[in-house]
Amino acid sequence: MTERIGLFADLHSNLEAFEACIARAEELGVTRMVFLGDLVGYNADPVAIIDRIAAFVESKKAIAILGNHDEAVFKDCHSQMNASANLAIEWTKSQLNNNHIEFLKNLPLIVQEEKICFAHASAHNPADWNYVTDSMSAWRCAQNSGKSYTFVGHAHEQALFYQSAVGKLIRFAPHPGDEIPVLHHRQWVGVVGSLGQPRDGNPEACFAVFEPESEALTFHRTPYDHFTAAEKVRCAGLPEELANRLITGK
Amino acid sequence: MAINTEIEAVDDIFQEGKVVDGFLLGKEVHRGGMASLFSASKDGIDLPILLKIPRVGRDQPVESLIGFETELTILRSLKSPYVPKYLGSGNMATRPYIAMERVEGRPLEDYIKAGKVFTVDEVVRIGADLAQAVQSLHSQDAIHLDIKPENILIDDKGKLTLIDFGLSHHARYPDLLAEEMRKGIGSAPYISPEQIVGIRSDSRSDIFSIGVIMYELLTRELPFGNPQTMSGLKKRMWAEPFPPRAIRKEIPRWLQEVVLRCIEPRAADRYQSATQLRQVLRDPESVKITQRGERVEPPSFWDSLKKWLKAAGYEPSPSPRPSMGNQDAPLMIAAIDTRQSDEGLRELMQTTAKNLLQAYPESRLVCISTIASTPTYEGKHESETASGIVRGHLVQLMDWAKPLKLPPERISYHVLEALDPASRIVEFAKDNDASLILIGASHKLPNKVTPWRTSMTKIVEEAPCSVHIART
Repeated sequence: MTERIGLFADLHSNLEAFEACIARAEELGVTRMVFLGDLVGYNADPVAIIDRIAAFVESKKAIAILGNHDEAVFKDCHSQMNASANLAIEWTKSQLNNNHIEFLKNLPLIVQEEKICFAHASAHNPADWNYVTDSMSAWRCAQNSGKSYTFVGHAHEQALFYQSAVGKLIRFAPHPGDEIPVLHHRQWVGVVGSLGQPRDGNPEACFAVFEPESEALTFHRTPYDHFTAAEKVRCAGLPEELANRLITGK
Repeated sequence: MAINTEIEAVDDIFQEGKVVDGFLLGKEVHRGGMASLFSASKDGIDLPILLKIPRVGRDQPVESLIGFETELTILRSLKSPYVPKYLGSGNMATRPYIAMERVEGRPLEDYIKAGKVFTVDEVVRIGADLAQAVQSLHSQDAIHLDIKPENILIDDKGKLTLIDFGLSHHARYPDLLAEEMRKGIGSAPYISPEQIVGIRSDSRSDIFSIGVIMYELLTRELPFGNPQTMSGLKKRMWAEPFPPRAIRKEIPRWLQEVVLRCIEPRAADRYQSATQLRQVLRDPESVKITQRGERVEPPSFWDSLKKWLKAAGYEPSPSPRPSMGNQDAPLMIAAIDTRQSDEGLRELMQTTAKNLLQAYPESRLVCISTIASTPTYEGKHESETASGIVRGHLVQLMDWAKPLKLPPERISYHVLEALDPASRIVEFAKDNDASLILIGASHKLPNKVTPWRTSMTKIVEEAPCSVHIART
């Protein structure tokens, strides 16, 4: 069976979006999954998300990477986040048991495979959480990964950076559902977009699917019950603006 | 990189009689600078097949490989009767090839080289067919960017096929030739001024190339020559070409107008879509002849100097998305409830319509009103007869539109008979390929007007285009 990798980033405790995307990914024939960090934070279902992902990891169906919000659960990162993000982290800590926290603590910062590198923010000093948003940051990321393919999250908007003839990486805004040929003789950095808190004005959850053999990458957007997810944020007593973000996608 | 060591391997793989991924290779039918072409066959594929193999290796220009990758991406995505069908491809690193339909026909270049004299009618037909073929690419968000006689195949019946997508651009895929590449890649005689400065996203570049080809077929000369230097290439940003009618008298004024408009330096001064170009070529009467069509003298020294100075600050026009070209002249529908008594809403709808129309100088407005049904009996008074009722509504529509002060060619009025107004409005929008429906919603609704509310929902849900709701 040809490998088909589901790429999910910035899930942020959004169970409704998670289930919709996993279901869609299964329909698309995904054979394994990579969770690119920020499993928790912002939204209302950290326990359910960690339980599900831990089960996937346990059964070797997935690997998971550490994100800055996951790190904030067991390390003081107060100064690096805004007020509502910090409030959500405090609330998240109150929900998790030791096993959950242990799971997060054991997540790797970066995973290098033969042709692919996975990290939450960037392969360039992954512990510093550098955003990949422009040519320069993408170039640094690709340089440090050294692989043809690097997949990251952290920046919530979907983007594909590709190497031009002189090495510079150029940003491309992918169109959901279009299969993009990504031939391995050049370097590519895919920012898969946020599953749990999209911010480009479209509330639909982001993920991507990569097929190494056919060298094809497809970005996806999946609608989900974002009203329920927002309602849960409100009921949990988390900041109202976090609920509104899910509804507006901003 | 690894590719240098693989050139022999590639040559070994692709030889007559060998089988690659089920494709049985036939004769090598062409060997060019960038690629070799082999005829081929495969079980289960009835079409004649062509295998295109890039020339890779030390001495090859980097474009040959990027061009191959670009062509693979774009050809694979296109569905058009004017493009060879994509039939498969091989791994880029180990056995790079693209398998495609082998299209019958000879390149237009062959006819030109053989000295064929094209009649005016033949040129018009080729121009219109080219415009149609190019439109089928533009409508899929692709731009060819290398339209030239070598890349146009014509079969016995005159049917055109566009080939070679190695320099093309597709809005939905990363542009591998973007930015750093040598500026102005393409064929010197046919490349547009904006391509020379490195812009690869303007569909009107293809219209420029069609103009150059029509000029060449009509006059057997190239409007801007075949320059080999950058400054020579840039001449087309200001130089006025020799009027075709000065070379060949029988060329009608309207056709000179069309050809010269296609090769205007600024994309915004050309035809804005290939569809528009095709329409004028098929309907010469619609062409408004300006000084372009009248010109018979070559431009004076002073005129040239003025244009040259202007070109010193050459600013390419902003490029619209290829598939949007056809939407520069949108049709808008204003659905007007003539029974509506809310003055505020009436004014708001008028202002909204005015603003929308101002945004698109070539847009048109259709005012519509619906009536339940006309009586089958003829009443005593004119106002009770079918024609009287319709006329009454028309008068109200015209009254509504009066403050917009639109010239008659930009506005029309229709009274539609329908039991279900919403469905009728949606149907009308579909039939007329409308871009926008404008409807009004008032808070001052009498209780009995609830049906209009459901109508509004229905229009919004079912409309084939955008719906603008004016709200007081």
